[in-house]
Amino acid sequence: MTLPADLPVRVYQHLVLTGSAVLGGVLLGLPLGILSHRVASLRGPVLWSAGILQTIPSLALLALLLIATNSMGFLPAWIALTLYALLPIVRNTVTGLDGVPAGTVEAARGVGMTNAQRLVRVELPLALPVIVAGIRTAAIISVGIATLAAYIAAGGLGVFIFRGISLRNYGLIFAGAIPAAALALVVDGAIWSGEWASRPVRTLQPAWDRILRPLALIPMILLLAPLAIEGGMRLSRSRPDVVIGSKEFSEQLLLGEILAQTIEENTDLRVRREFGLGGTMICHAALVNGEIDIYPEYTGTGYLNVLQIQSKGPLETEKVYKTVKEQYQKKFDVDWLGPFGFANTYALAVRQKDAQKYHWTCVSDLKGRAGKMTAGFPGEFMERADGYPGLSRTYGFSFGKAEDISPDLMYEVLQRGDVDVIAAFSTDGRLEAYHLRVLKDDRNYWPPYDAAPLVRRDTLQKYPQLETALGKLAGKIDAATMQRLNYQVAGEQRPIQDVAREFLRAEGIIPAED
Amino acid sequence: MIELKNLTKSFDQGQTRAVDGLNLRIRTGEITVLLGSSGCGKTTTLKMINRLIEPTGGEITLEGENILRQSPVALRRKIGYVFQGIGLFPHMTVSRNVEVVPRLLGWRRAKRRARARELLDMVGLAPNDYAQRHPRELSGGQQQRVGVARALAADPAYLLMDEPFGALDAVTRDSLQKELLQLQRRLSKTIVFVTHDIFEAVTLADRIAVLHDGRLEQVGAPKEILTAPESDFVRELVEKPTRQLQTFQEART
Repeated sequence: MTLPADLPVRVYQHLVLTGSAVLGGVLLGLPLGILSHRVASLRGPVLWSAGILQTIPSLALLALLLIATNSMGFLPAWIALTLYALLPIVRNTVTGLDGVPAGTVEAARGVGMTNAQRLVRVELPLALPVIVAGIRTAAIISVGIATLAAYIAAGGLGVFIFRGISLRNYGLIFAGAIPAAALALVVDGAIWSGEWASRPVRTLQPAWDRILRPLALIPMILLLAPLAIEGGMRLSRSRPDVVIGSKEFSEQLLLGEILAQTIEENTDLRVRREFGLGGTMICHAALVNGEIDIYPEYTGTGYLNVLQIQSKGPLETEKVYKTVKEQYQKKFDVDWLGPFGFANTYALAVRQKDAQKYHWTCVSDLKGRAGKMTAGFPGEFMERADGYPGLSRTYGFSFGKAEDISPDLMYEVLQRGDVDVIAAFSTDGRLEAYHLRVLKDDRNYWPPYDAAPLVRRDTLQKYPQLETALGKLAGKIDAATMQRLNYQVAGEQRPIQDVAREFLRAEGIIPAED
Repeated sequence: MIELKNLTKSFDQGQTRAVDGLNLRIRTGEITVLLGSSGCGKTTTLKMINRLIEPTGGEITLEGENILRQSPVALRRKIGYVFQGIGLFPHMTVSRNVEVVPRLLGWRRAKRRARARELLDMVGLAPNDYAQRHPRELSGGQQQRVGVARALAADPAYLLMDEPFGALDAVTRDSLQKELLQLQRRLSKTIVFVTHDIFEAVTLADRIAVLHDGRLEQVGAPKEILTAPESDFVRELVEKPTRQLQTFQEART
């Protein structure tokens, strides 16, 4: 297995995230801990609040902060990680200070130290080992939770894990998970050795100890280096011209890469990739806020989920495209460019042998057996306007059981027989590969889902060459092509970059190899 | 001179009185021993002198000035204090421990170092061997020598000593008492010394103040206390060791 090329970048991002979160936790948690130690009435509320924060599920907290800060990437991730770092730091600060012997505290008062002097010269130094233990716990928690930050485009090693899940590529998952675990150990060890270096030295210690002490600070300094570099860079960094986003499943990653290469090869704009963002609403928010400039979207999703237009009766492809284009321009200052040429609609899929056995061809045919069937639906589908609730209303039945399942694992799960029906994407190459049958939407429940690039209008005005470049993609990917490309990525596990490049060269959108 | 006037410390809104209307003059340049059994209020009295405990009634004057009108921090820096159970700072070297008060007073580093060496020498700890050690690397007796050195560091006129030798073995205690007397001959500090041990009191004191249940039973030179006890409590206190000595003698013969 070859390591992903962006591994060093992701490790670096991970360190920046973790380091800044632990730093934030210390800067906030230490004063809170000291305050709770000194002011008895604050102790309960402070520890209780920090405890409550700790119990909020990480993904939920990230999503909430995404909304609260109205931005994505580093800021909400940093806030979330800082909040998680708080509890162990506050608690250990209080415990450490409580543990300073009463006699020593009295001695500090008795020799004439002020409150502040007593804290800095006696109490904190004596509580330090316990406080550092809390910081180590916070750091380990941060390294772990920082993997989830990829969900809101904060980068880090989680990128590989999310990408690996999407592409069903276990190598990629390990490429994220193993360095993350190793990083946790390294960070823990570095903080420990830093603390050891600062411990009082005995007179009668061996010579090697004296030499080793100052050296023990080095790992911690090395770990903090990325933080300093990042700080310096943020002050002087030039933003890339165009940021391209995508949702977290393989077709989106591939479309994102196709958009990115098309722009890179046809213009001289600098592109940054923020792929794998957690779902429609996150992509949409990121686009409207200007965190990203472009991402691929489907007309039906924009129509029903973003614009929340109530649909009555069958919707025509052209009408839906026209509506979203107009409304997006008006409401969000975002433009829909020319569609790629395929629709990726939701479709109920079953095993081919079941379809033959029960003579199923369209969704209505399921009605008789639905109560005995287990459905596997992606999380988004459970809630969406064009999801399960509406489906069961339109067709007048619901399934015996409906389970949340990853959109990228559901095909395999269906084939294995763990579920009996899934809400598949019609362009997924695995439908064919796994011998699955798509059932016809005979009541026209779903609108058309034509895929097209969404672009911020101010980006288009700034770089008019984008429209020409991306125009080359219009109508170039039909449903069969998309299915084939998807299968190359998700089924054959070929690198996205290669699949995208090969396709673009074959179509003459980017120059052939020299 | 330290003067305690009608000094009172009560807890539980006045229900329990640890110190109850105490009047005492502590003469300059003398060792005054507060003697009594545990719970008699002697340590509470001592701690009120440098405001580690605030009185609930009466007043304390130091050279005629009410200490309650002085900043506790400034007050403590001019009164040396040797703690029960030592009270050295475990994370600081011996030298740093001795330098604590000079440092709080803003002395220069070189002057502090020199002073620490001088004092360690004075309490019988060779500076070259001990200055850079940590308290846990010393024996109990050595630690308390450092405690005495720390209390003397800024050359205070007053010294408060709260059962400083209580936790030491008899032999060590004996030699430290002797050394304290030698030191006092050179330094002539005004010392308030708390103990429950009548032998220690008699050995060290210029004057003994016997406390019982928060009240002063008798005050006087050791000889007066021993020969002319003024109350039943003091008589019992004085006679008990004599009886014990008799029992001891009888057992030997």
